[in-house]
Amino acid sequence: MNRREVFTTIGTVAAAGVALHPDIRALAQAGKETLTFGQSTAVLTLDPAQGSFTGYPAGYEAALCIYDRLLDFDANMKIVPQLAESAAMAPDLMSATVKLRGNAKFHDGTPVNAAAVKINLERLMDKARNPTNRPLWDPLASVETPDERTVVIKLKAPFSQLPNSLAHGSGSIVSPAALQAGEGNIAKNPVGAGPYKVASFSPGQELVLEAFDGYWNGAPASKRLVFKTISEAATRISALRTGAVDVIDNVPVALVSQLKQDPAIEILSSPGLRPIGFALNLTRAPLKDAKVRQALNLAVPVKTIAERVFFNFAKAPDSPLAFNTVGYKSVSPLTYDPAKARALLAEAGYDAQKPLTLKLFTPQGLFPGDVSVAEIVANALQQAGVKVEITKIEAASYWDAVRQDAANVKWDLAMFGFNPSNASGLYHLASLFKSNADDAGKPDVWNMARYRNPEVDALLKEADSTADQAAQNAALGKAQELIWRDNPYIWLQINENVSAVRKGVAGVEVWPIVFTVVRRARA
Amino acid sequence: MLRFLAIRLALIPPVALGVITILFVIFKSVPGDQAAIIAGATATQAEIEQIRTQLGLDKPLVEQYARHLAGLATGDLGYSSTFRANPLPRILERVPATLLLMASSILVMVLIGLPAGVAAAAWQNRWPDLAISSAVVALLAAPNFWLGMMLIALLSVHLGWLPSFGFTGALSLIMPTMALSARLIALVARMTRGVVIEEMRKDYVRTALAKGLDRRAALSRHVLRNAMIPIVTVIGLQAGFLLGGSVVVERLFAWPGVGDLLLTGVSVRDYNLVQGVTLLFVVGFLLINLAVEILYVVINPRLCHG
Repeated sequence: MNRREVFTTIGTVAAAGVALHPDIRALAQAGKETLTFGQSTAVLTLDPAQGSFTGYPAGYEAALCIYDRLLDFDANMKIVPQLAESAAMAPDLMSATVKLRGNAKFHDGTPVNAAAVKINLERLMDKARNPTNRPLWDPLASVETPDERTVVIKLKAPFSQLPNSLAHGSGSIVSPAALQAGEGNIAKNPVGAGPYKVASFSPGQELVLEAFDGYWNGAPASKRLVFKTISEAATRISALRTGAVDVIDNVPVALVSQLKQDPAIEILSSPGLRPIGFALNLTRAPLKDAKVRQALNLAVPVKTIAERVFFNFAKAPDSPLAFNTVGYKSVSPLTYDPAKARALLAEAGYDAQKPLTLKLFTPQGLFPGDVSVAEIVANALQQAGVKVEITKIEAASYWDAVRQDAANVKWDLAMFGFNPSNASGLYHLASLFKSNADDAGKPDVWNMARYRNPEVDALLKEADSTADQAAQNAALGKAQELIWRDNPYIWLQINENVSAVRKGVAGVEVWPIVFTVVRRARA
Repeated sequence: MLRFLAIRLALIPPVALGVITILFVIFKSVPGDQAAIIAGATATQAEIEQIRTQLGLDKPLVEQYARHLAGLATGDLGYSSTFRANPLPRILERVPATLLLMASSILVMVLIGLPAGVAAAAWQNRWPDLAISSAVVALLAAPNFWLGMMLIALLSVHLGWLPSFGFTGALSLIMPTMALSARLIALVARMTRGVVIEEMRKDYVRTALAKGLDRRAALSRHVLRNAMIPIVTVIGLQAGFLLGGSVVVERLFAWPGVGDLLLTGVSVRDYNLVQGVTLLFVVGFLLINLAVEILYVVINPRLCHG
């Protein structure tokens, strides 16, 4: 073959390849019994204990398809029965009686009975085997099994949030046979009683699930579910547009309008449960003054932040809790009134000669748009006459920098947002606003502001010790009013979780707790 | 040759030990508390302390270092907070994908970069040279993640020819290889052009031409052989930097390699995982350097004694 022949041959083969080769978009549309989910985070481990599902939230999203729990959340975070037909709290909140349905079994064929549930709950209670999610499981004292289908959970103290714990992802029930065969294997080879069982799993890359024939609630909507890790947002969007995946999560709000122009794509969103704000360091003299705290809140244009930074995929809160949290009560909307803010600061004794100076800490890349939001807030406060020094802290070291004992706290304002993964408003308020045992030490949970209001403490205790949902909500409502009035935070925004699907995909749910749930979805 | 190899190989363990020590010191001094990360955002201070004790993070640094070394000797990289276990198997299972991407990039770099450089030198200052040199500047200026995104937009989203992400067969290798090798092709072409032009001015080339060899024979038989040493150096060095480039490209294409895993580890602050991958990269770099030195000797046996 001479040179010309070689080139001609190569050219012909290449041209034929381009002409004949199948369009990947056409391939992707074939075989629609499979639903593929491109996740921004990686599914790494699938054991509800031993550190629980990592990474977050991908591991939980997969776990919701593999495992059933005693109770479940619906898409609006309402608690509904799952493996339990019913779960009744005793009036004194010291125990709960759970009735199991008789027809559920695990992927390996073992029945879901009282003994299986006991083994699981005792594992979750064991600090050594389950070091994470402790606030959910520490209140449990013991588990009894009067008969095959009845489980009685005894509590150490009144604990009204037990149903939230049982519905939480970490309450996933694992096959006792699989546990006995080797607890260390669960993370890689999970065996649950959920609608899908594992076909193959490469941690951090791909998880393939197939429908479990023996599921107690009938066959699930899809034959196969494939979870693929696509960390880069632009790549995730390309994959959705080519049809290589049917669902993606975590769409950057700045790219939504561009994505909306594609007629094959549909955007799904729901407001999250995590209100973002700046915790005020209440151990500092100026911030002990209620007028100053009110002025700081009046000085920040929260509407502008929601519109400009988040393209309206965020809303300003009207209570310390987010809108979909269980027990949320609307208190009053935030107002932007810089003139009044100035007046209040003047009343408190600050003016141009003697300005209030505050140190503001923000993480970089921990919360949505954190640095932009921090700069807008700093600028707004400066316009109201407050001098602000911004410190930007790398996300990895942010918690170390802000969560210090009182003597080492270097900030006056620190950005924070708490995501109550069991959707409980009581859990949220107690984590952030219940008085610390010792304000000089590190905060017990996340009360970094060192907020201390005996009335709020009493209301939280009251909410925690009543089985009556209405009475609990009434107590939480009063607590929200008190906290909102005290302004221990500069309240900012509640972001929406934005996912996208191809048109025609049905049943994808975007839960307020960051999860994109595909267990009822089909392509 | 054997003695040369033995000396080079013997140098690897002390260098590796130095690297291990430096990495240990770095990862002990970066902020971020492993125990707090494992305990989760809702943990109380007491629970964090308990985990710290469990993992031995409360022990003196010297003791932790000794345990770290002993662990490494048995293949234990320490507890990974992402995998809740020793991450070594998870790292190793990703090595082939990274090696494949590196190998195809090196192949493309040599197969395109070298002939392009020689062609540019042979037709110096004429249109092939101008075309190649302009292409080189363009490729050097294009960052690999941008190039990758443009490739995805064109070849996957617009034309639908290639899969946009993941490792799903030969077709899926094309775009990551293009994105990763573009800069290297340009570097090799530019280097080759310069070296070949320099060599062609030397006396031995004039002699070869004078004794009646045509230009092509002089180029392929004499000039290229002499030009190879600096070119191999560049290729070797760049192969090392491929490890770095692969981190970005793997993430962009959701390529299941070690670089992607490194970023996953960084995003969740899994320091033992990051430390393990970094160590693997360092060892990889050392091995590539060794391979380059062996290549020198193959090209020019006199270096064996140098």
